[in-house]
Amino acid sequence: MSEQTLITVKDLSVDFDGSPAVKNISFTVRAGQVLALVGESGSGKSVTARSLLGLSGGNVSASELSICGQDVLSLNDRAWQKIRGNSISMILQDALMALDPLRPVGREIADGLKDHSSLSRSERKQRVHEVLESVHMPEPELRAQQRSTELSGGMRQRALIAQALAGNPQVVIADEATTALDSQLTALVLSQLRALKEQGRGVLMISHDLAQVAHLADDIAVMRHGEIVEAGTTAQVLENPQHDYTRQLLKAVPAGVPRFAPLTATSAVSTEQVPADSVTGPLALAATGLSKTFGKHVAVDAVSFDLPQGKTLGIVGESGSGKTTTARMVLGLQKPDSGTVDLLGEHFSPMAEGPRRRLREQMGAIYQNPLGSFDPRYSVGQLLADALSRGKTKRVESHRREAAQLLDQVDLSPELLSRSPRELSGGQRQRLAIARALAPKPSVLVLDEPVSALDVSIQATVLDLLDRIQLETGTSYLFISHDLSVIEHMSDFVAVMHQGKIVEQGDTATIFAAPQQEYTQKLLSAMPRLR
Amino acid sequence: MSRTAKIFSVLVVALWLLMALAPSVLAPGDPLAINPTQAFQKPGVAHFFGTDESGRDIYTRVIHGAGDSLSIGLVATALGMGVAIILGTIAALSPRWLDEIILRVLEALYAIPSLLMALLIIAFTGPGVGPAIVAVGLSTAPGYARLVRSQIRSLKNSEMLEAATVLGRGTWLKVRNHLIPNALKPLLALVTLGIGQAVIWAAALSFLGLGTPPPAPEWGAMLSAGRTYLHLAWWMSLFPGLAIVAVAVSATMIGRALGGKVKSL
Repeated sequence: MSEQTLITVKDLSVDFDGSPAVKNISFTVRAGQVLALVGESGSGKSVTARSLLGLSGGNVSASELSICGQDVLSLNDRAWQKIRGNSISMILQDALMALDPLRPVGREIADGLKDHSSLSRSERKQRVHEVLESVHMPEPELRAQQRSTELSGGMRQRALIAQALAGNPQVVIADEATTALDSQLTALVLSQLRALKEQGRGVLMISHDLAQVAHLADDIAVMRHGEIVEAGTTAQVLENPQHDYTRQLLKAVPAGVPRFAPLTATSAVSTEQVPADSVTGPLALAATGLSKTFGKHVAVDAVSFDLPQGKTLGIVGESGSGKTTTARMVLGLQKPDSGTVDLLGEHFSPMAEGPRRRLREQMGAIYQNPLGSFDPRYSVGQLLADALSRGKTKRVESHRREAAQLLDQVDLSPELLSRSPRELSGGQRQRLAIARALAPKPSVLVLDEPVSALDVSIQATVLDLLDRIQLETGTSYLFISHDLSVIEHMSDFVAVMHQGKIVEQGDTATIFAAPQQEYTQKLLSAMPRLR
Repeated sequence: MSRTAKIFSVLVVALWLLMALAPSVLAPGDPLAINPTQAFQKPGVAHFFGTDESGRDIYTRVIHGAGDSLSIGLVATALGMGVAIILGTIAALSPRWLDEIILRVLEALYAIPSLLMALLIIAFTGPGVGPAIVAVGLSTAPGYARLVRSQIRSLKNSEMLEAATVLGRGTWLKVRNHLIPNALKPLLALVTLGIGQAVIWAAALSFLGLGTPPPAPEWGAMLSAGRTYLHLAWWMSLFPGLAIVAVAVSATMIGRALGGKVKSL
């Protein structure tokens, strides 16, 4: 394996109309090396990656910027087109969005070859099959003729990687290529990236999650506010971090962190506050034999679980395992075909909507995308006033004190009352969603992928907040996530879902230490861990 | 909305409102005062827009006519929207079979040109200002109703509505607080355009003698009266015609400016 330098970046700066996004950063990527750029959104890591493809859209300056020995600083659009796909290419984040749903994936992959090579039509076809085979696509000839919507999530991800590799590039950039993928797809993408490294290509990984890159990257550069604050080999950065920010990022990774232990330095949570296990009264939530079928597709199949008061039950599974349908039946948004949901000892799911409304106040919901659950015309204060007044008014004045209290409870400033939720950051929006859900003082919160759209560092603050609220109010959580490390950190009990069934459930510590079912074992082995 | 469009819209609305609510500020004369000796005067210093066959001042009549024309346009559009909101909301929230029935009826009505439908309604009610408002309003309702229905249907399945359900909101609160306001927002621009259209239709009905009865200063009626003398007194038809065009154009411009604003949200 040669030690040839594929990317050289010296003093790269990118600004957009004078506001700097990247400030004087330098790094190199050698053949067979995986370099990870790690940082939260807005740190400049994606802008850096895009500059290497000539796609930043800002003012790029550098004392050196070269790819495979070619200076790319002064290239025009046409010259960039020759480099993209041939020398350097990028694996995009979202396979469903990135592939044209109306065209066979084989043709999508061949498109890049048409512009970049002198291959004939049949040679192109041959190359498409080669490259699909190289990413271990099952039945590549058949898949090449299918559209992305006909492929499973894993196949789609493989097709996307194949597309990036079609032109045989020396350097591949993976920009958050594993973000929001469930653990098995993540493992798949990581193994593909490892294969690229073994083939002697250079890989530049972009991620907000140190745990995702820990096992693959040779070197890590931590970015913040457009600067590289710390760089070194993976072992150095993980075991002996020099910069406070790196330590903060490391601490934010929930994998293996005990229940209620804080993920952020500033959190007031302490393990001493953990309540005793003596819980009296009815179960907060109980599901018995829940089933739901859509047409011929069995979405949820005889799912039963109990959630004691003040506890957290984590439901974990891949996309399409029936987690969200289960949540919707629990919330009374979807009628189960059979089975019942009991809330605080009352039969919740068979109730008529009229009498059920009174009970609904006992159960709140938090979604992955909080903005979608807010009325776009409402300000922060109006949303809270509406929740506090049970929809009677959205006038902030009538509930200013309580609304400010709610914001305080989720660590948001009361100054935000007059702002629109659109002006808030992702983390702030999720806090607002939590504040609104807490307004009727519910006994149970159903959280459907509440932190999946957030950076690890923001996720840590939201998870700490949820911990604190549970300790303060004794609210029970039904916590749904595809992310095993989040589930492990947040749950007292865990239920593993697969193809609509709960394949294994029990005490979190027991299941994570000694999974009994083959599927659970497979999931856990694919879980990225820092240590 | 751009700054100029904003200023323009505010000025235009202010001017029309002034004309409709306090016409005497701009034209102190009596729009009905006849003066046969001054008949068929050309536009000039004494009479800006000239006079008609009875010597009435056209300028005064055009200004005073704004009230009738605009209120017919506004009330008719409000009526049409009101009917549309009720029908559209019911259809969107109904079980499938009722939705299908309402939709088929709306489509059948939509197939008839609005003006023809207005004439049909007048044929039953007889001419007059009230019937003209009802006719124009009802004939625009099916188009609006279809839009309201589709807006509400897409909002019905939104996370926003699910969140409201989970918070325990009843159907009426959801409709009043979330569904209707959010459904109407994108329709605002369209409604503004519709007001201009309604003014034209109201004038058209009066022109045909089916709206405001003479001698009231209504633009459509004035246009019609001027038609007889077109060869010797062109100004009798030109100025009311220009007023109709001006209302339609400014409503369109405001509507487009609002439309741009809605899109940019």
